[in-house]
Amino acid sequence: MHISFLIHNAYGIGGTIRTTYNLANTLAEQHDVEIVSVFRHRDEPVFALDPRVRVRHLVDNRNESPGYEGEDAEHRRPARVFPRGELRHDQYSVLTDRRIAEHLATVDADVLVGTRPGLNVHLARDTRRGPVRVGQEHLTLDSHSTVLRAGLSAAYPRLDAITTTTKADAIAYRHKMRLPGVRVEAVPNSVPAPGIEPADGSGKWVVAAGRLAPVKRYDLLIKAFDRVRGERPDWRLRIYGSGKQKDKLRALIDDLGLYNHVYLMGRAHPIEPEWAKGSIAAVTSSLESFGMTIVEAMRCGLPVVSTDCPHGPGEIIDNGVDGRLVKVGSVEAIADGLLELINNDTLRHQMGGAALKDSERFDPSRIAERYESLFTQLASRGGASAVGRMRGSLHRTRGALLGGAYAVRDAGRTVLKKGHTA
Amino acid sequence: MMTLAPQPTHQHADEDTAMPPRADCTADSAGGLTFDLTDTTEAGAAHLVLRLRGSDEEVSLPLTPSADGRLRAALPSSVALPEGRWDAYAQMADGEPERLVPGLNDLRSLVDRVPSGARGHVAVRIPYVTKHGNLTVRSWLRAPHAEAGELHIEDGGLSVYGRVYGVALTPDAYAEIRTRHEPSPLLKAEVTADGTAFRFTVAYGALAEGTWDLWLRPAGESGPRVRIARLLDDIADKKPIFAYPKVTLETEDGPLLAGPYYTADNDLSVSVTAAS
Repeated sequence: MHISFLIHNAYGIGGTIRTTYNLANTLAEQHDVEIVSVFRHRDEPVFALDPRVRVRHLVDNRNESPGYEGEDAEHRRPARVFPRGELRHDQYSVLTDRRIAEHLATVDADVLVGTRPGLNVHLARDTRRGPVRVGQEHLTLDSHSTVLRAGLSAAYPRLDAITTTTKADAIAYRHKMRLPGVRVEAVPNSVPAPGIEPADGSGKWVVAAGRLAPVKRYDLLIKAFDRVRGERPDWRLRIYGSGKQKDKLRALIDDLGLYNHVYLMGRAHPIEPEWAKGSIAAVTSSLESFGMTIVEAMRCGLPVVSTDCPHGPGEIIDNGVDGRLVKVGSVEAIADGLLELINNDTLRHQMGGAALKDSERFDPSRIAERYESLFTQLASRGGASAVGRMRGSLHRTRGALLGGAYAVRDAGRTVLKKGHTA
Repeated sequence: MMTLAPQPTHQHADEDTAMPPRADCTADSAGGLTFDLTDTTEAGAAHLVLRLRGSDEEVSLPLTPSADGRLRAALPSSVALPEGRWDAYAQMADGEPERLVPGLNDLRSLVDRVPSGARGHVAVRIPYVTKHGNLTVRSWLRAPHAEAGELHIEDGGLSVYGRVYGVALTPDAYAEIRTRHEPSPLLKAEVTADGTAFRFTVAYGALAEGTWDLWLRPAGESGPRVRIARLLDDIADKKPIFAYPKVTLETEDGPLLAGPYYTADNDLSVSVTAAS
């Protein structure tokens, strides 16, 4: 199959970019894969791509590029196709409307994958007859504004499928939106195996990682750690990430006198070696549309203590088996969850082992198989896109195994290319 | 899967130069480091070269194929590496040395490191990523060494808890608090010792505006003067991570702010500045 992803910006560093690269790189083992980036603000992608995956852009907004289009008159007029209420609406324009439409009217692909609501709307409206249209939802339906939801309701019935990262969000789409004939399926994000040995559970460190943003509720984690220190002063906490909450969190640490126990580590990339230094991971968010860090930590052998917030954690963690789900917003519940694992070495080691095993289901090889199966079924069910029109064979012929066994690669080189330190 | 592409052959290839060689770096608890070069094929004799910044000094380590086919170099703790920043290069056969970029740095064995100090010194090597994205090894060599542990800010002062390596604490032990300015006034603080552990308190009220460095005199005036530092973990640059509250001091000349910090060499100092 020829699979073409449409992404806001393939040259940045966010979670959608990372998960798209994981999927594209794995699918490229057996398919012809390209990533089309609406914008290009730097010369090279930050994450390394499999050389078989092609990347190109539609609008050049590199300030120093001779082809710079950021000042184009059309680019100053607000977008009309890209829906209002989309978080990125301000960055889109009449120029992007036109470029995306031109791309989709002529694209040579069997399957098109949109990676955010605004681009899914383009996919639904502008795609030529033929290709299968799949819209990915990386956030959640409930997190979208009323204006955006109205825009999605109008366009999404023309998609072949919508994928969400959780079952809960898939149910929301099925119940809250009229989508006759549109397949709605939950496919979690993929996380490769780390390229290092898993944690051995002996270090007396709790590790958390994420943007220092209000939704992550690191204030609760720090307060919970005050109680942990009271009982187990030999354990300490590292929080990786940067963000606007940093000064507030720093002040909280100082106010509670936790400066010998709680450390704000700044950003780390790759993160895997940092997980491996800990024995327990903590997630205290009030909302996680998926929960990539939970899977990342589990793949490094850490049991995760996480709030049971909507939507992801409860679908990733098997409570009491490979991690612990605790009440959202409760300092006491978070502290109880941490202390349960801190005070019971046997349980912690057991859960760490289970986390390692249970998180294999998120391996890119497994997730790519699920996408491949979805794409194949959609293509063969006919409708707008008949399999007979599919260019070439379903699979790459070069040494490919039909039926799609993707190599489980030890993909520890989750590195940035030179010149970008996160 | 974000595997590193050995060579960029996608359509930006014309804009790209060859990928620099990359090394995974693994630390052992004895202070040794292992470098594994990824995506590099052997072409004759190969070496990993460490160059001390600001000097001509360099250490060349042979790169040999390991079981998994990658090229490996080892820097055992027994090879002395004078204190400083050592930039890492790969040198293949007769080629020019190429600057290495970091892959995965597995430093877990450094996190709560407790060296023996038996040889009278402490050697620390922490690989880190420079602001330009290259691989450099920060080295410390202290003989003897006074490691700072917990710091407590209370009652208008700073209490320092630490441990000595390669030297014994005697009943004459005390701490020195010195400014960097000449003439250098010198304050002394009484040290409480328990085996190799020590603690002392710096009374902020005694400090004038300026930067004050903390030293330990484990055997009193007759013995060595040991700069107190925090070295024994995986963090190459302590200052941004080991942050401590500042205390406001009311003085005749207006309010001052006092607080501990780690210097660029991870030595422990106290800064006293005018409160703005």
